[in-house]
Amino acid sequence: MKQIHFTVNGIPCVCDEGMTILQAARANGIEIPNLCNDERVRVYGACGLCAVEITDGGDGRPLPKLLRACSAKIAEGYAVRFDTDRVTRSRKIALELLMSDHTGDCRGPCQLNCPAGTDCQGYVKKIAQGDFQGAVEIIKEKIPLPASIGRVCPHPCEQHCRRGLVEQPVSIAALKAHAADRDLAGTPFRAAQKPDSGKRVAVVGGGPAGLTAAYFLRLAGHAVTVLDAQAHMGGMLRYGIPAYRLPKDVLDREIALIAETGVTLKNGVRLGRDITLDALRRAYDAVILATGAWASMPMRVPGEELSGVTGGIEFLHGISSQEGEIPDLSGKTVAVCGGGNTAMDACRTAVRCGAEKVYVIYRRTRSEMPAEDIEITEAEQEGVIFRFLTNPAELIGENGRVRQMRLQIMELGEPDASGRRAPVPVEGKYELLDTDLVIMAIGQKPDPAGLDGIFLTNRGTVSADAHSFLTNLPGVYAVGDATNRGASIAIEAIGEAGRCAKVADAALRGESKPYFAPFYSQKAVTAADLADRETVPRCEPPVRDAAERRTDFLPVSLGLTDAAAMHEAKRCLECGCHDYADCRLIRYAQQQPISPERFAGAKNVHQPERRLVTIERDNGKCILCALCVRICEEQAKQGILGLVGRGFPTVIRPEFDRPERISACRDCLLCADACPTGALRIL
Amino acid sequence: MSIRIAVGQGSCGIAAGAAKVFAALEQQLAGSAVSLGTVGCIGMCWLEPIVDLYEDNRLAARLVRICPDDAARIAEAARTGDLSGIAGLTISAEDSRFLEQQTRIALRNCGIIDPNSLESARAAGGYAALEAVLTGKGMTPEEVIACIKVSGLAGRGGAGFPTWFKWNAARQSPGDEKYLICNADEGDPGAFMDRAVIESDPHTLIEGMLIGAYAIGAKEAVVYVRAEYPLAIRRLSHAIDEAKAAGLIGQHILGTDFSCEFRIKAGAGAFVCGEETALIESLEGQRGMPRLKPPFPAAAGYWQKPSNINNVETFANVAWIIQHGGEAFAAMGTEGSKGTKVFALTGKIQRSGLVEIPMGMTLREVIFGIGGGVRDGRQFKAVQLGGPSGGCVPAELLDTVIDYKELSATGAIMGSGGMVVMDDTTCMVSMAKFFLDFTAKESCGKCVHCRIGTKRMQEILDRIVSGDGKPEDLDLLEELCLAVRDGALCGLGQTAPNPVLTALRYFRPEFEAHTAVEKRCPAHACAALLQYEIDAEKCRGCTACARKCPVGAIAGNVRQPHTIDKNQCIRCGACFAACRFDAVSRL
Repeated sequence: MKQIHFTVNGIPCVCDEGMTILQAARANGIEIPNLCNDERVRVYGACGLCAVEITDGGDGRPLPKLLRACSAKIAEGYAVRFDTDRVTRSRKIALELLMSDHTGDCRGPCQLNCPAGTDCQGYVKKIAQGDFQGAVEIIKEKIPLPASIGRVCPHPCEQHCRRGLVEQPVSIAALKAHAADRDLAGTPFRAAQKPDSGKRVAVVGGGPAGLTAAYFLRLAGHAVTVLDAQAHMGGMLRYGIPAYRLPKDVLDREIALIAETGVTLKNGVRLGRDITLDALRRAYDAVILATGAWASMPMRVPGEELSGVTGGIEFLHGISSQEGEIPDLSGKTVAVCGGGNTAMDACRTAVRCGAEKVYVIYRRTRSEMPAEDIEITEAEQEGVIFRFLTNPAELIGENGRVRQMRLQIMELGEPDASGRRAPVPVEGKYELLDTDLVIMAIGQKPDPAGLDGIFLTNRGTVSADAHSFLTNLPGVYAVGDATNRGASIAIEAIGEAGRCAKVADAALRGESKPYFAPFYSQKAVTAADLADRETVPRCEPPVRDAAERRTDFLPVSLGLTDAAAMHEAKRCLECGCHDYADCRLIRYAQQQPISPERFAGAKNVHQPERRLVTIERDNGKCILCALCVRICEEQAKQGILGLVGRGFPTVIRPEFDRPERISACRDCLLCADACPTGALRIL
Repeated sequence: MSIRIAVGQGSCGIAAGAAKVFAALEQQLAGSAVSLGTVGCIGMCWLEPIVDLYEDNRLAARLVRICPDDAARIAEAARTGDLSGIAGLTISAEDSRFLEQQTRIALRNCGIIDPNSLESARAAGGYAALEAVLTGKGMTPEEVIACIKVSGLAGRGGAGFPTWFKWNAARQSPGDEKYLICNADEGDPGAFMDRAVIESDPHTLIEGMLIGAYAIGAKEAVVYVRAEYPLAIRRLSHAIDEAKAAGLIGQHILGTDFSCEFRIKAGAGAFVCGEETALIESLEGQRGMPRLKPPFPAAAGYWQKPSNINNVETFANVAWIIQHGGEAFAAMGTEGSKGTKVFALTGKIQRSGLVEIPMGMTLREVIFGIGGGVRDGRQFKAVQLGGPSGGCVPAELLDTVIDYKELSATGAIMGSGGMVVMDDTTCMVSMAKFFLDFTAKESCGKCVHCRIGTKRMQEILDRIVSGDGKPEDLDLLEELCLAVRDGALCGLGQTAPNPVLTALRYFRPEFEAHTAVEKRCPAHACAALLQYEIDAEKCRGCTACARKCPVGAIAGNVRQPHTIDKNQCIRCGACFAACRFDAVSRL
């Protein structure tokens, strides 16, 4: 047979005569994007994704029109491209149009709201099946410190868990901690590691961001050294979070596992004091700054300089760094200013240090507090007194030491930009509060020392690009609390570090792969949509009695049992599409940036329907490639399905919209197998 | 001297009352020697119903806009031969010019012969070309194709592809079983020349098809005609029956070895079935959806056999070309476009109807010369060519020559020959939306670009005419148009953006006015964008507007200036129409 010579995206190819362009490329190991093509049935040409440009028709001249690779035949000398601007634009619009009429959740709201994009539904399912090891494998794709994070994370996943529309969210964080604890107790899971690349990376800062970046870069084959100013690794996880929430031995074991991958950990090295950024840049192929935000924000009230006034982070760090030495606050009155998690950590730590009275001074009310509800509740149980709608106006000292705090009484006004009602002072209304120790926990900021030559934002944080994570210096990346928006929760830092590791890995290999948030189809679900679900109460790990726990730093939470974890995991509604891993539509939709919202308009509304025992059809996810229709007719020889209606509302139903046609189905499942999206699900 | 009366009874004439006129004449002429007959459509829509009086087969009088009450007078004149009594009914000299300026080939017998009579057709030369091809010295299929090639005849359905090339490809395609198909699924809004040909001269179509079938080697010919043309189907069926009985269809036609069966397939009403591959799917009993090309029908068409598909008007030219020679046909027209083309002239035009002219005339000559210009003394704004697949041509391009290439250069197309004239009261955004509404509705739903793309285009246009458009919508619309044109599977989708693209090209300021901050429709056609105000100076307080306002939005005392409450106003324009003092202004 005659051989045809051609190129695809510039790669020389050869094939037999008579093939379509799609087949010819495939024969040379190149897959041109396509959704409606299947070699088992006749070509159809509906999706338009396989459009290619022939930049040379064999005679040195380009063909004027785009061709559909599924039907156009390959010819001698063709230069086929599916990476030109014109083709990419065409594919982009096809995908945008498809997605503009697509109703489904690619991934559950848990995963989409996890700053690290952890596949919560995936590991919860593994736990439901009793496969704890499998669960850890999934978690560790994103989080190298799951036992720690499972304990401390404010879990945005749970806030968005749709089970919350039925009764209460799934205890995702506790499930993660449980799976990770079991892993640590047995033979811990070790992820596959790529061969050594010969590249060296320095990570400055051994907190969650730094350790995560180090872990993933090491797995990618690079030689990684983590430099940290403190005596031990862990950053804020160790020095900012009290041991009753995160026992240090759990953190130690997880850090040890990271060290086992071959990451070099060096403590007691402070950037700017012990080593310069310049030196690091010379010695390493890449530098990742993950120095955190260690300075408490000042309150800017008179008397702040008095002795007995400290920052939340400084207070917690002081206790954590004493290695079990607990300061004695017995008989003292402590006032903690702020309403976030650090304030809760500080007030509960003060309780454990024996303080007689611990106040939390917060200018709004409880419902506006940014701290997690469970933290507030547990603090209340432990005897913390909350003074809502008060704001420190002045710290009054005696002999240089704080004695009293003058509180401005506040009230709630109009909602501000964040949607919360803004506190406004009640003119002339003040109160005095006696106090021996004032802890300011109203926010943290990074310390710019040692960041020579690095551009900072006007907030004093390191300015890093949102897509490349690079600072203004080549080869210097920055992630976590030290950057851009400033301090946030650990999982944010971990997510960013993981994405940065991917970008940096590519750069070290000479490729440019900036990060862009991938597209996911999402649908709106209300409680009414879930009204038919049976309610199953949420199972939470038991906690120690408040009277007992307020006297020590032992863990508050007692963790879940295997049985409880599996029972809890089964509450998952499995919102994310079952076919995400195999869905060709989302694969293409994530290969290039798309914005279907540009074409937002009418959507066809469908409910998943089960006409068969074995297959569920969700036409909301159907792209009308008609592969099910065609394979049923051409391969199964049944012709049970058909296109019903015309134009935009066209839908696939039993042929001629006659439901009884379904009775001819022989359960061959060819249709579900051929479906390129998650529209057909085998039950 | 014998007088014959012929009543034009195409669908259009019948709609205007021709059947009633015919019945009245029949009654009046009962027992008289005057013969009364039916002819098809002469193409002068604005003058229907039309009654022609022939004296010894010479047109003695053309009577226009006839009503049944005129029957007595006409019968009297016919009986006596004294036509003075009906002078008032006769067509004006000016209106006669409508026909005089045309060159009729495809329409040569329309409105002249009796469509229900093979004898009438043969008397007008029907089947002479077929006889010339099959009998006597005859012509080989190759000679027929060569003759068509010389003529330069191109597909009149819209694409303008050389007819000989398709015939030749089908002829060269291996296989004994071949099909010849006539596309009579005329679906463009405002185009009706195919219907006129079938209703008025079905034998011309049959003859053209038989010659085509002979040329490509087909033994079966099918006419795919839309079911919305019942009269055409009836007349064509009758013609097929008559031709069959006369040995012109079937086995051994005219006693030769050439055999060809004929049948009609009524379409189910989908516009896309005018696309040849969708038409084939529909013929096969499948859902009317286009197929991928290649393979082209010439290689694998109806039942995957070599097939040739031409439009009605194309076939209607064939017999004439065979009789007069390809050179005669090619003598008319331009370098790239030969022969004549039929246009359906409609819209805001003085004289609407079917116009057949040689290629090479300008749009101005057709619209202003033959059509008499814009109706009601208004300003010409644009003409839409080629229906929903075509585009609009603005006033400044009226001197564009009618030629496939020249028209394409404007962004419009020759198309099937729809020519919709628009005046200054037409909003070009609404016009674009009208065609998009049509194509979005007629999309078969197969390919993504057309199914969802036309829907989104329609939504954006809808937003703009409803006053919710944003300036950036125009770029988005244009981007989408270009993507759909590039990416859609068949002609329907690929050409659907044309009305929008040409409107944007020539009337962008009008679009911009709709999406600007102070949203305005310059043509005052988009109700949602209009503002009505009463000029206190001009208002006499006659209360006419307040009485007409359906929502009571106008307040004012008698003989005092009135005011409109803009919050209540539904912008219906009733006040504007009611005011006799020009006091209501529309912004």
